[in-house]
Amino acid sequence: MNRKILAQTLVLAIAVSTLTGCAWWNKHILHKKDVTTGSQPGGIGSTSIDSKVGDRVDLTNEGSRGEFTPVYFDYDSAKIKPSEFTKLEAVASALKGNSKKLVVEGNTDERGTAEYNRALGEKRALAARQALISLGIDGARISTVSYGKDRPVEMSHDDTAWSRNRRDEFVTINQ
Amino acid sequence: MKIWLMFFCFVSVVQAQAQVDIRKNFVKKSIAVVGDAPVAAVLKNDLRLSGAFEIKSANEAEYLALVSGTSCAVSQSATKTAVLAKAYQATGRTLAHAMADDIVQTITGQRGIAQTKIAFIYAKTPRVKELAVMDYDGFNIQVLTRDGKSSGHPRWSPNGQKIAYTSYWKGYPDVLEADLDSKQRRVLASFPGVNSGAAYSPDGSTIALTLSKDGNPELYTMNANGGGFRRLTNTDGIESSPAWSPDGQSIAYVSNASGTPQIWLIDRNGGESRRLTASPSRNTEPDWSRPPADAEAKPAIAVTSEVGKFQIGIYDGDRTVTPLVADGIDNSDPSWAPDGRHIVFAKARNYRSRLYLLDVRTKEQIELPAIEGEASEPAWGPWR
Repeated sequence: MNRKILAQTLVLAIAVSTLTGCAWWNKHILHKKDVTTGSQPGGIGSTSIDSKVGDRVDLTNEGSRGEFTPVYFDYDSAKIKPSEFTKLEAVASALKGNSKKLVVEGNTDERGTAEYNRALGEKRALAARQALISLGIDGARISTVSYGKDRPVEMSHDDTAWSRNRRDEFVTINQ
Repeated sequence: MKIWLMFFCFVSVVQAQAQVDIRKNFVKKSIAVVGDAPVAAVLKNDLRLSGAFEIKSANEAEYLALVSGTSCAVSQSATKTAVLAKAYQATGRTLAHAMADDIVQTITGQRGIAQTKIAFIYAKTPRVKELAVMDYDGFNIQVLTRDGKSSGHPRWSPNGQKIAYTSYWKGYPDVLEADLDSKQRRVLASFPGVNSGAAYSPDGSTIALTLSKDGNPELYTMNANGGGFRRLTNTDGIESSPAWSPDGQSIAYVSNASGTPQIWLIDRNGGESRRLTASPSRNTEPDWSRPPADAEAKPAIAVTSEVGKFQIGIYDGDRTVTPLVADGIDNSDPSWAPDGRHIVFAKARNYRSRLYLLDVRTKEQIELPAIEGEASEPAWGPWR
């Protein structure tokens, strides 16, 4: 029964987004200060009832950062290392005691192109999300964002800095 | 249907295997430019950047270009024969660029690039990255957005009217489209997860892009008018950075399905993909040259290769990549000019990114004028 309602809603959502999609121009004039204000986030086909990556939460409400230790990665890898498992278990057990939402932020070091690193950062965030789901957390509570190479925590250009920048950070949000 | 897919794959691979034509004995014409100072100076630089000319003094040069007001007259020095005489409506740099393209066309028979534009990502400070466009020579910079967030990966529509790019305007990476004529922009893709890497098909009807909405960064296509999302790849790895073949039938892209990121090829309708590159260890950001005006130059895929540092290379069709810019400095994000001869790319000396032009034929690199902050992820616009 639930599944049927979900399917119907999905069909409706797709129909609505198709109808409104083509004409959905944001009335923003380029090169103007107010370019970021006005319309809602989301766009053509952005209705994501069956989202497999967690619905977006509003990032304008600053969440709580630093509550959890970042998970670190090897170069050009999105594999969760055994050394990082306990960090994810700590995140999972904290989330079990509340109803907060979690944003996993994927980051890379500065080497390589911006675009590939954006995809790699997303893969890292999704890897942690998947691990948290397997630890019993509802995937609907966990969304991901990749900052690629844009947000290093260490600004120097050496192996130590790079290893600290290849990370997932966890931000909890009350909503 | 299956036979058609196979046919397209076959054609695309044959094209990809064609060697890029780097003529070692390419001879430049010599030209002298005299006349009204500001316009003549820009014209001189344009002719130098064309790669077809070297600038000499009036008594040494094969050709003499005389700039007077908004008119330009070009003659052959030896015979005093007039080859070009034209009056223009434009002024300033626009005037000089128009003259340059006419001179290049008249003397070499090739279409010039002096009136083309380059889109890029402008970072005045490291975390604030805006969409910008400029003339191909690095002047006349216009910063189009004022979001105060990050953005990336600009790509031109084939008619040069629109630019699709990635913007963190609402905090998450969305694909937006900026219309340079109407000065408006709209959202093309805003799903949960990553929305990035948009690239228009050569006919402008379709956009290829990277989405992770189904749980993994994968390649999709969508209608350029909006919607119609269609998934092309399905791996456990990362797919990103699509680039269309000149005939619009296939898409080169990055996948790390084989362990490290390499360039793969897939039909525009999906189906079986095949790996193009196997070495060096990592290859990313393919850009397929458009059909060149010069019939002797073959379509080729420029890439960013990691060999310790990052370098620009060209896929030569034999699973390997021939280095093009390998100077021990980090070079990345090559983008072909519409003439199929020039490339714009980013060079990060001391981790500060600036833009350079490269003449693939002569291998000359030209550093574009310095700007405050950094410039990265260039995309050379089409002829308009």
